[in-house]
Amino acid sequence: MKMMKRWLSCALALVMLLGLVGCGGGTDEGAASDSGSESTGDEIVINYPTFQVGTNTAAPVVAELVNRFNEEYAGQYRIEIEEVPGDANYAERIQVQISSGQLPPVVYGGGYALLDLALEADLVVDLTDVVNADPEWAAMYDNDAWQAANCRDGKIYASSSEGQLIGYFYNKELFDQVGIQPATTWEEFFDNCDKLLAAGITPLAMDTADGAWVSMLLMGAMVATSGDEGLEFMNTKYPTDYNIEPVVNAVAEMQKWYQNYTTLDAVGGAYENAANNFFSGNVAMICNGPWMIGDFSDTSKTPEGFDQNVGVATYPGGFVYDAPIEGMFVTKQDDPALEEAAIAMVKFFTSPEAQTLALEMQGMVPAAASVEITDTATTNFPLLGEFLNMASECTVRSNTFTGNMVPGLQDLFSAELPNLANGTYTPEQFCQILTDFATENAVA
Amino acid sequence: MLTHYKRTPTQKVARGFSYLFMALCVCVALFPIIWVVLSSFKTNSEIFSNGLSLPSHFSFDGYVQALEIAPILKFFANSLIIATITTILNVFCLAMAGYVFAKKRFRFKNTIYAILSLSMVIPTTALMSPVYNIITKLGLYDTKFALILVYTALNMPISLMVLRSAFASIPTELEEAAYIDGAGFFRTFIQVMMPCAKGGLASAAVLTFLESWNEFTFALLLTSSTDNRTLPLSLSYFTSQFSFNYTAMFAAITIAVLPSIIVFAIFQEQVNASLTAGSVKG
Repeated sequence: MKMMKRWLSCALALVMLLGLVGCGGGTDEGAASDSGSESTGDEIVINYPTFQVGTNTAAPVVAELVNRFNEEYAGQYRIEIEEVPGDANYAERIQVQISSGQLPPVVYGGGYALLDLALEADLVVDLTDVVNADPEWAAMYDNDAWQAANCRDGKIYASSSEGQLIGYFYNKELFDQVGIQPATTWEEFFDNCDKLLAAGITPLAMDTADGAWVSMLLMGAMVATSGDEGLEFMNTKYPTDYNIEPVVNAVAEMQKWYQNYTTLDAVGGAYENAANNFFSGNVAMICNGPWMIGDFSDTSKTPEGFDQNVGVATYPGGFVYDAPIEGMFVTKQDDPALEEAAIAMVKFFTSPEAQTLALEMQGMVPAAASVEITDTATTNFPLLGEFLNMASECTVRSNTFTGNMVPGLQDLFSAELPNLANGTYTPEQFCQILTDFATENAVA
Repeated sequence: MLTHYKRTPTQKVARGFSYLFMALCVCVALFPIIWVVLSSFKTNSEIFSNGLSLPSHFSFDGYVQALEIAPILKFFANSLIIATITTILNVFCLAMAGYVFAKKRFRFKNTIYAILSLSMVIPTTALMSPVYNIITKLGLYDTKFALILVYTALNMPISLMVLRSAFASIPTELEEAAYIDGAGFFRTFIQVMMPCAKGGLASAAVLTFLESWNEFTFALLLTSSTDNRTLPLSLSYFTSQFSFNYTAMFAAITIAVLPSIIVFAIFQEQVNASLTAGSVKG
């Protein structure tokens, strides 16, 4: 009994001790305000949650921009990064903060429709007057794609820093083996696929998990180049009817690709599987953006010299994906000075200088067409220079297929793709499932 | 004195099968651990291309990268502090509750127990927003105490269920004998009932510790600084939508998991003994 009492006393003492030591130190950074920001003397601190950390390709750019901002605004404003590793984790966290009405001063919308969710909750600061007061900043919005990403009802709410200019990459060695060149028409494209297949080479890297990014790009390109109806669909924000001819036809083609033109791990596989199949020379083509270029020379993922073996192309029909990624927005705060600091941060992070830095450091495509592609960038990333030249000649452009979807539909699209791939659904049934969800969850 | 006897062919076959079954169980248990450790020495390409092969060469680059990319050791220490305090708090508080629910009669006992147990079926996603609101309003955002509080509460239903059953299985005569000998309520609970419920206490402690150690969602939601974040979050540093470093991730998992396995291997006899201790009492 005495032993038991002694153990109990020790346990209680340990609880109190650890409680004092462990819990006492954590209040320095976060407890100052609900939105995660604080003022220290005259300096305003902006706590900036971001998923662009760790292995994220934009991590070095964000770190550099934070350093530069803190230097330029020393004594006035200071950004403190709050690391939220993982894109999906970040989106989930911001969604909870939206529902509780306690957003951080600056939010990066990315591809998660966070701007619309925050607008629904009336938490976003209208930037129209601030942007219009600065001609250089206002000039970026002289573009339909920019407006679609960052404006609502004629008002400016966000500012983009990164563009989404996407074509596809191909393995030159495998193309040379069968004597083919990147196709300019879809007939030629599938003829190339058949030739590759006949030579025992799997033509396409595909996936179904995590939004089926790689597969979706190829399918969306078919929709966009099918004619006016398809292109209009691809440039419509939050469409509700997927049972239209261009989409049904493209979905029917995609079903065939899963069954004939890709690897066994495509169904159920994620981007990583598709990318590895391309890196390993198992497949001849992969659709993705220029952010992938750095990986071609990463010898932990690819064989030595693989980067010399990769070519880039735009899609048949003179098409390239071209849409700025939904940008950063400022949220309403109790302290007007904090809102001003947040606006300064958004302006700094999305300025032409910041976009040039991202281009030169990581090969990230600028969001604004006015940002010049520098020699440094083309020297650091020759494939990017080549691609940007090709892209400049493309006449058909749109957002991605999933980029316009209502929130939540991308998950359903991804979850139901295996059923399309194995023939459980016909293309019409698959499109009807998307239509039903989009109609039920329509965004005004 | 041991009696040696010759086994029949049927017994020999049965024994062979039992060894085979045990070997299979060992393989199933060890395979993921060995696979993760071996993968931490492979390149990303090797992991994807041939998951079951041995590394082409042993390199500790993954470990170096893992420690550079994420503050794993700091997160490990935080996890240890949070899981330990949560376990102690949870088991101590729920032992008292479990004892009262098992041995005392009062009005609405079953209703209150049902309400407390119901929280087990509320999905985590439904709790996220209210918990975030309460924690921020209490000024506990980004503190270890927030996680301790939430984990203690989240583990309440299962601990209550385990401990109530443990106390209910102790004969009432023991309690009555303590009262007859002059022990009060608290003394009876601490000195008579608690030692007899050691098995239940150990089970509740192990379950609570593991749940707190592995929890991800609230750790992500309620903390923002490396001073307070826990180990499961560190693994998200190694994969994002268009980039991945599985070598570093498997190295991080090895760093995170191996100490727990070593500690369990050292103390497994004590853990097993405590888990079965209650079954022979009373």
